[in-house]
Amino acid sequence: MAKWGMVIDLEKCTGCQACSTACQMENNRLPGENYQDVLYYTEGKQPTPTLKWFPRPCMHCEEPSCMHVCPTKATYKTEDGVVLIDWDKCIGCKYCMIACPYGVRFYTDEKALIEPNIKQVFKGDGDLSWNPPYKGPQQDPKHGVGIQPNGVVSKCNFCYHKISKAPKGVADLDESNPELVEYVPACVRTCAPKARYFGDLDNPNSQVSRLISDKQGTRLLDHTGNKPQVYYLTGGGAAGSAVPGTRSNKKA
Amino acid sequence: MATQAQGSGPVSAVLMAGLAGLVISLAIAFMNLLSGGHSAFNTGSDGVSWGLPVVNYVFFALTSTGLTLVSSLAMTFGNKGWYPIAKRCVWLSLVTLVAGFASLALELGHPFRMLWAIPLNAQLVSPLNWMGIFYAVFLVLGILKFMRIHNGDWNSSTSKQIGVAALVTELLAGGMLGMAFGAMAMRPMWYGNLVPLYFILTAACTGAAFAMLVTYLSYGSEEAMPGQVRSLMQGALPTAFAGLLGITILVIGYRTVIGLWSNADGLQVWDTIVASPWFWIEAALLIGAFWLLLQRRALALASVMVIGGFFIDRYEFVIGGQLLPLFKGSWVPDLIAYTPSTTEWMLTLMAFSIVLVGWALGERMFNLGAVPRD
Amino acid sequence: MEILKKLISRRRFLQVSGAGTAAGAAVVGSGGVGIGGLSTLTEAQAATVDGNTVVTKSICAQCPARCGIDVYTTNGKVHAIYGNAGHPIANGKGCPKMHLGTYILYDPDRFKGPMKRTNAKKGRNEDPQFVPISWEEAYQTVADRMNALRDKGESHRFGLFFGRGWGATDVGVTLAPMAKLYGSPNIGIGHSSMCSDGSVLAKQCTDGNASYSSYDYRNANYLLIFGANFLESFRPYNNNLQVWGYIRGEKAPKTRVTAVDVHMNQTLAASDRALLVKPGTDGALALAIAHVILTEGLWDRKFVGDFADGQNHFKAGEPVDAPFTEKWTLGLAEWWNVELKDRTPQWAAGVTTIPAELIVKTAREFATTKPAIALFERGAHNHSNGVLNGMAIHSLNALVGSLFAEGGLAYQMGPAYGPAPANPDEHLDDYANNGPHKAMARIDLKGHEDGYMFAKNMLQEVPKNHLANKPYKMDTVMFYMTNPVFSSPDATAWEKMLAEVFVIDTSPFPGETAVMADLILPDSTYLERWQDAPTYPFQGWPLAQIRTPAIKPLYDTKTFGNTLIEIGKRIKGPTSEYYAKLDNVENILRHLAKGFEASPGDNGVNSFESWVEKGVWYKKPYHWRQVRGEFFEWDGQGWNKPMSADDVKKNLLKTDSGKFEFKSSYLDHKRDWVIAKTGRDPAKFNFPHWEEPKHTGSGDLHFVSPKNAMHAEGRSANIPNAISLMQPTVGGRKHVCAEVHPSVAKAKGFKDGDRIRIKSTLGEITAIARVTELTRPDVIVLPFEHGHWAHGRWAKERGSHVDSIIDNQSDRISGMANYYTGKVSVEKA
Repeated sequence: MAKWGMVIDLEKCTGCQACSTACQMENNRLPGENYQDVLYYTEGKQPTPTLKWFPRPCMHCEEPSCMHVCPTKATYKTEDGVVLIDWDKCIGCKYCMIACPYGVRFYTDEKALIEPNIKQVFKGDGDLSWNPPYKGPQQDPKHGVGIQPNGVVSKCNFCYHKISKAPKGVADLDESNPELVEYVPACVRTCAPKARYFGDLDNPNSQVSRLISDKQGTRLLDHTGNKPQVYYLTGGGAAGSAVPGTRSNKKA
Repeated sequence: MATQAQGSGPVSAVLMAGLAGLVISLAIAFMNLLSGGHSAFNTGSDGVSWGLPVVNYVFFALTSTGLTLVSSLAMTFGNKGWYPIAKRCVWLSLVTLVAGFASLALELGHPFRMLWAIPLNAQLVSPLNWMGIFYAVFLVLGILKFMRIHNGDWNSSTSKQIGVAALVTELLAGGMLGMAFGAMAMRPMWYGNLVPLYFILTAACTGAAFAMLVTYLSYGSEEAMPGQVRSLMQGALPTAFAGLLGITILVIGYRTVIGLWSNADGLQVWDTIVASPWFWIEAALLIGAFWLLLQRRALALASVMVIGGFFIDRYEFVIGGQLLPLFKGSWVPDLIAYTPSTTEWMLTLMAFSIVLVGWALGERMFNLGAVPRD
Repeated sequence: MEILKKLISRRRFLQVSGAGTAAGAAVVGSGGVGIGGLSTLTEAQAATVDGNTVVTKSICAQCPARCGIDVYTTNGKVHAIYGNAGHPIANGKGCPKMHLGTYILYDPDRFKGPMKRTNAKKGRNEDPQFVPISWEEAYQTVADRMNALRDKGESHRFGLFFGRGWGATDVGVTLAPMAKLYGSPNIGIGHSSMCSDGSVLAKQCTDGNASYSSYDYRNANYLLIFGANFLESFRPYNNNLQVWGYIRGEKAPKTRVTAVDVHMNQTLAASDRALLVKPGTDGALALAIAHVILTEGLWDRKFVGDFADGQNHFKAGEPVDAPFTEKWTLGLAEWWNVELKDRTPQWAAGVTTIPAELIVKTAREFATTKPAIALFERGAHNHSNGVLNGMAIHSLNALVGSLFAEGGLAYQMGPAYGPAPANPDEHLDDYANNGPHKAMARIDLKGHEDGYMFAKNMLQEVPKNHLANKPYKMDTVMFYMTNPVFSSPDATAWEKMLAEVFVIDTSPFPGETAVMADLILPDSTYLERWQDAPTYPFQGWPLAQIRTPAIKPLYDTKTFGNTLIEIGKRIKGPTSEYYAKLDNVENILRHLAKGFEASPGDNGVNSFESWVEKGVWYKKPYHWRQVRGEFFEWDGQGWNKPMSADDVKKNLLKTDSGKFEFKSSYLDHKRDWVIAKTGRDPAKFNFPHWEEPKHTGSGDLHFVSPKNAMHAEGRSANIPNAISLMQPTVGGRKHVCAEVHPSVAKAKGFKDGDRIRIKSTLGEITAIARVTELTRPDVIVLPFEHGHWAHGRWAKERGSHVDSIIDNQSDRISGMANYYTGKVSVEKA
């Protein structure tokens, strides 16, 4: 069984947010509900300010704290290494949102970021918290895929509806391979500067393993012990070197 | 069973006020929740996931723990002088827990699903799982214990065993609640292995405050109190309470200073907390109450002050730990701006109203001033 | 909560059912079968498998690059769009805008069919009271008006203004001939002067190509980028991003990048060097770089030439009289003498605020890290001196020999299209040939002495000229893919004009123009229509892509091309015969595709059917290349055929001299007019030279309103998902914020998050301030996305309308609207 993981090359990332919009499209996310977000940080002063960015999907941790705190085991880890939510079990206590060090989880029932609320424009029936005409055909609440029902937490699922159909034993889901392109997560598939790679971390011959080895892939907030399965290539720095400490993030 | 004189306090007035509060809060809360679901809350995935309804829950659940502690002084630890308020405390520990659960239930996405999903899937490493189990077990034990003493069985070995079990589960539940926060290493404002202890300590304070307040409300004045009650209210209770409160104030003070002193990312929330007038109101309330308790004056007022002070403290703890967003970049400011919505405040009103109504009904129906026949 | 919501949703459902369909109208469903029976129509069901999904090859519409896209349609619903792997621009990849297509298709605010106005009063706050009409009535109404004008000899008073519409099927075959056949100089006034004509003219003045450039980034070792936001808005955006990943992540050696702009954006942040320049002074920087290249002897001698004695006689401040033999350039020594000799880095530092040593470093790197490309766009040329800035920057390409070189820049070849179904020249009547319209100036005074002699279009001048009755008043105006009532400088002037004329809008969306319209003839959105698009300048070799409908139109809408054909069929005289022959857009496309039979694409496309199947036809390579100062033509194997000077002039350097002209013959042709209208020094008016930009307004801050990465061709303002990602660098996610430097905030007494008032000579707007070090202290940046007073439920009344306070000033040479040259003052609102 593969252990799916992602490698993100920060030296190639242009901060364009195509990963975010592709994800929103593929997974029918609400405005602001960015399973895949790109975070931007400003430091320094004119005429030499710095602007940095940091793409951040769910880390699909080896030791996911979100899973450990979930009282109903609605959050679980699949055999192929993906952290998912079973919407039929989720009670909406949001403890996982508290416990995730990476801030990648979303509760369904919240004030709309953008008014008028699009959920009111494209109403759902409760089993789907909203139902836009452009909804994708996939709907799999047991794996947290599709549009979530009311009252549950949702998160990046590595496009489980795609990767779970991949042929067994594939080392990398490489979008440039026409045989595999339909199994590649949306963010990886669309990433124009090719800053993203998706493959089997347990396979030492996979491209992701090779990149982690060649370019010293590191993990975000490794000290939390969550052990992400998303690795960053930073050109030498630690993962999250683009992420300044919160104390230095003071606005003028 | 010794029957004490029915209290002359404003029970009816409290009942009416509680009912009014309940009707108003439920009407408004349900109207908003029905039309907008949880978007009627000001909570959001960008920051504060657990809002005021969780504050309510933590406040009342811990108060329940505290009330159990107070009742145990007589019933488990044999301090007979505390018997006159023991039954009242047991009853109130049930009522406050119900009030807390009610607020939490309206906050959960699927409260009814919780009833089967937690037991069937029990995540053994989740503090919430154990907290839920312990509070649920306590609810059963507390009801059993109350039925026992209501029927005059204060001291049978079964009754005592139930009492001990109830106390242990309440302590474990309150501790687990503390662990739910204290185990969160990714949120340094909460993190710490002494948080369960802090929760139990503060729980005892609010428990004592409620015990003192309702005792006053039951009788209306010290003059109207039976002798045993009066001597407790003028002796052991304020003294013990003052000692407890004094230690707690010190602990809060140290927590605050450590938070302000440390440079660690995430602890800058303390700067915001201290900059808020609410922090100083909390300090004034608690220190003022401490002073009143030492003077043994205006004890009802002191207990109200303690309740108010600790409600602020719970708010600052639960909300403060979430004010620093985790990896939100430029989308959100340094700290989340969170103010509870009307609906959330209505759940606070609802919880307090449940306590008032529950207590008043108990006072009317169950003779809460009863003490064991010697 | 769930149980409560279940109760309520059930109750709502009953209410909606009782109320009939009106309340449910927000939820749209196609309900139609797919095109050509391609898609399988079954009842929508959960967890549909891939077998029901149809992938249509189409082309994106979110920017001019027009990437090939794979449109995923399942059970009649479009739900995903990815890049077409076989398309050379997209290569299977996407930019952030590509994925917004489904929101545009299912926009709940779309027009549902043709309508006419019933409220005679027009204005922002007047409800047009549109009532549905039939398409027949719509076509006939337009044709009747056009015929009536023609009968009166006033056909010039019918105008058709367009924005992003090109490709043979809208401007090439249906639109341009309409001007000729019907007889109006005002049919086909494009928005290029509000787009990027500044760069087109800069190139026309220097190398003779009236075009944007094609770029060979992948083989370049140095990019020097002026005012073109390569990683946020420069086109072809998707391909730029792909290029960036390659040249910065994989290529050896890594391409070095210096980027110049007025605020720290993603391009500057990702570059090796960010130069934060004072607005409007890019030309001074380029001149100083040229100065350093010459004084340090770093120019490409094989392309430019050399002093006869082989010595470098360029010394700062000193004119040269030693003979200089130029090879492919014209006027270098003269340029030095009249301008460059004094353009030292120290001088430029004073003008641009960029330290002299950084200018020297940049110049040395640029000239020694070849191949090197200097590229520029709106930031550099949206000023009164825009063409001069552009000429100065483009001259750097000549100095380092990048023109037509590997790793340099060139121009775009057109596709091998077959002939259209009909030839307009065979359908001209006497009126078309000799009618009074022949003597009429264009309403925008393009090419007119009183207007803009060199401009390609002057759409922004239309309301001014109309209102002044100079040259005349319009009677009927039609809009296609442009909404100048919102997007033109001094945008509110359009409202006054449109209140006076009969307005036909063809947008599928309820924009500001539509509010002013008398007739709505809604276009089908891009996923519902046939269309072609020869590529925007890309890598030089020809490429033509085709848009195939993924689904039938959701509503009663018609492709604009077909609308125009139907109107044409109803014009009196031989015009109707011409349009009858065109028949419809698909027919035109079939004719165009015939050209591929003789010239099959590299991907095997040789017919209409194969074009539809692949979505794109292309044929590599670009036919010409300059190698170390010699030009060669492709002979089928390589660039082996040496080109004569005449060949070069004919195909590549299309100036009078057949060389790259530092001394522009193109400007010299209208010497007197240029000198009279610009007041420029007759000694240097046709050289790239420094001229202070003439800023509009009198405030203390430069007002810059850039395009953001999420700007999807005017529709993002009504797409909630796009709004939420609109301004990520400073966190504008419900609206866009005004980026201002902390020193400004301090001086004016406001804080981050405060509402501020921005005042120009035209008026004032308010915005939320984002106090940030990203922006220069003399600049306020407010992206132009929001501020709509119509345009749909999410767009309306969100943010501030920047173009309402931007003065209508244009570069007298290029006609380019000076969007970024206003000066404003700010205060706490």
